[in-house]
Amino acid sequence: MKREELIELLARRSGSSWELYEKRAHSRESRSTADGATVCERREEGWAARFWESGAGRFAAASSLERLAAAIRSAAALPGAPGPAPEWPEAASAPSPAPPEPGEPPREVFEALARELAAESRGEAVLSELTLRRGCVTERIANGKGGDAALASERLDGVALAVGRRGAAACEARLVFRAEGSLDVPALARRLADRATLPLSDRATPFPRGAWLLDPSVAAALLSALAPLFTADSLPPWVSRSRFASSLVTLVDDATADAAFDGEGVPSRRCVLVTDGRFRARLHDLASARRLGAKPTGHGARPSYRRPPAAAPRRLFFETAAGKAPLEILASVSRGLFAAAPTAPVRVDPAADRFCLEFTGVAIVGGRAQGPIAGARATGRISELLHRIAAVGTDRQFFPMPDPVGAPTVLVERCAFD
Amino acid sequence: MILETDSLARWLAPLARAPEDIADVFVEERRETAVLYRDGEVAGVSVLLDAGLSARCGRGVEQRLVYVSQADEAGAREAVRALRAASASEPLPIRAARTTSPAETALDSVPGLARARRRLETLLARHMPRHRLRWTVTETVRQVVTAGGDAVTAARRLVSVEGAFTAESRRGDETRAFALHTPDTELNSDVVRAAFEEAAAPREKSMPCAAGETGIVFAGGCASVFFHEILSHPGEADAVSPLASLADARVAVPELTVRDEPARLDLFGGYEADDEGTRPRAVRLLDAGRLGGRLTDRAHRGRSASTGHGRRSGPSDPPLPRGSNLVVAAGNATDEEMARRLQSGLWIEQLSGGSIELSSGRFRLSFPRARRVRRGRLADEIGPGTIAGDILSALKQVEGGLGRDVRACLSLGWCSRGGQVVPVGGEAPAVLVRRLMARPDA
Repeated sequence: MKREELIELLARRSGSSWELYEKRAHSRESRSTADGATVCERREEGWAARFWESGAGRFAAASSLERLAAAIRSAAALPGAPGPAPEWPEAASAPSPAPPEPGEPPREVFEALARELAAESRGEAVLSELTLRRGCVTERIANGKGGDAALASERLDGVALAVGRRGAAACEARLVFRAEGSLDVPALARRLADRATLPLSDRATPFPRGAWLLDPSVAAALLSALAPLFTADSLPPWVSRSRFASSLVTLVDDATADAAFDGEGVPSRRCVLVTDGRFRARLHDLASARRLGAKPTGHGARPSYRRPPAAAPRRLFFETAAGKAPLEILASVSRGLFAAAPTAPVRVDPAADRFCLEFTGVAIVGGRAQGPIAGARATGRISELLHRIAAVGTDRQFFPMPDPVGAPTVLVERCAFD
Repeated sequence: MILETDSLARWLAPLARAPEDIADVFVEERRETAVLYRDGEVAGVSVLLDAGLSARCGRGVEQRLVYVSQADEAGAREAVRALRAASASEPLPIRAARTTSPAETALDSVPGLARARRRLETLLARHMPRHRLRWTVTETVRQVVTAGGDAVTAARRLVSVEGAFTAESRRGDETRAFALHTPDTELNSDVVRAAFEEAAAPREKSMPCAAGETGIVFAGGCASVFFHEILSHPGEADAVSPLASLADARVAVPELTVRDEPARLDLFGGYEADDEGTRPRAVRLLDAGRLGGRLTDRAHRGRSASTGHGRRSGPSDPPLPRGSNLVVAAGNATDEEMARRLQSGLWIEQLSGGSIELSSGRFRLSFPRARRVRRGRLADEIGPGTIAGDILSALKQVEGGLGRDVRACLSLGWCSRGGQVVPVGGEAPAVLVRRLMARPDA
């Protein structure tokens, strides 16, 4: 079956109320341990269609055009979700040139990272597994209104696992990373060493309350957990649009440098979500824009062809133009905890206005580090946390969650720890 | 989708020169039908027809895998040709493959599916009229062909209902999470109906869980999740845990026997053959309190054969040794006796998640609700919390008197390790464990 035949099938069923998504990916992955390596090469093809028939929408996906035609027929036999089709974008782009075939991921990184990690941790942490994946993806999104957008991207990402040991105590550390440019092995080793060795400390948190200094990776994890606030149909009652957060907070989503279009073919654009603490805008995909009578913002995210697109941030970050140097922020802490790494997934309940973040880090007194703490838990109200942000650094870094989330060092005042 | 075995085996043969070499082709066709319900109305429908194939060769953990999203002879040729090129074997000649058209059976014509959907809608209308729940039926057909010419084909159908609903409680409406995973599409068994009734039953106002050490009875089958974390994961052949150096050691009371039983097809994690084509066998992880065997695949079989626990989340991933259905042998105690023996502590019938850090042996289990036990009787409702401990201490603190009624755990059905998600299940009687750390969720 050809692509044009499938488009004809969709047009026959749905007139102009259809969308066809096509993805081709090629990746090479190596998973290395001290005992050997498993190498995987993957060539993936995927197709997905959304179509409205008799006033009801349906989604079908498959690994080939023939299977997609069968999936469309099966989906049409089920009761659909009643409602109008979205306003399809009419933007068209020239087909993107296919990226070159991905090469093998660099093999020497395991040894280099293992060496750096041993040095950073003074021999207490050992690299147990490193997965590196180099891949390229081409996508094409067409719809019944003439929209036809093409995208191509390449990336190198990975996961490192390390085990820290001190006496009888042991701790595992897992680090997901993406190379934006070349792979910074010493920086990876430092983060991995912190995660694997700080929890081995026998010290619990020395303060029940105090300042909370967040490493960029922890601040990014927290920001990522709060992201559903920017895609929810309705805001929880505790959110005040005029006083959403401290006046130092400006949050932006801008994926224009990553891709010209989102997963629905809507052009990417910069969205300022929070300016000087005020809640300004939310992120829309086509469906939420239709539902809420707004304009789509180019945030229809499609992590896989197997699932329908949904509104999500694509590159969410703290604006740091007016930030302070991290050392200056550290010096301002009279008593508190530095959160170096999360030790469990961040838990956030936007409806109940609650958050809980478990972390490992260092106690700080008088602007100086006082030694590691094995673990602590910061809990409280999200609203208070956002209002108590007292400083934002200039050292913004991006972390894959899985789309990039960027945060600098952040200082929060008057936090409760247990 | 079923591929011709002889030619595949012939293509693979040059990749397995020694008996310990692994070379196989794995093919999967997956149909996933999902309906999202919101307050009795359909809010979304999706159908996925996925197919993929991978060829693999290697020895031990040194392996190479090539995946293509084409589950036919041409895809098999492409994958094996890439492997043979990488391993410097004689190249596979390029020939036109016979093309096969994929199955085009409408999913609604699969026997029982439409009836199962209607049954679910009836159950929802009766027990949970206000809801946002996703009903997913996943059907997979998997075929494995090895270089030796062995071929196995197995089909499986799994059903999940997950989401949240609004329940009426004595203090007004409350939102409750709901999850049910079963290999039975009919949704008409007493067990499934009871799960809906139990989830929707009125409840008292819950109190926050007190932080500190406490005794806990894991009832309602959820002890299988507890043992999945502390025995099944450490029992995986490639795991390095505090149990790794304690082969045959007595670590728990003699009344405790725990098995992994993949052949139990009535449980969510069951299968007829693993994803390397091995017929699975039950493994005693704990035999009368002593540490037993390990869960092995072909790459980690050691001196004995694979136990049939090589599992993949899909054709694009290499197999890993993984657990399946965790089954705990019954004791003689009634629920009342278990509560009396506990005297004071927590009675937990549902867990919402679990994890383990193998190197240290520390584990965590989350529970959405519990009942406090006071003076040997069930007392007030307790809100969500987390239990923590370490494997060896927890095993030592399991009490000998186990419950007599064995129940399947339906609320948790998927286990993730290194990004690979596989279905798992289990059944267990009530189990009393002393001195675990509990604390409330924020």
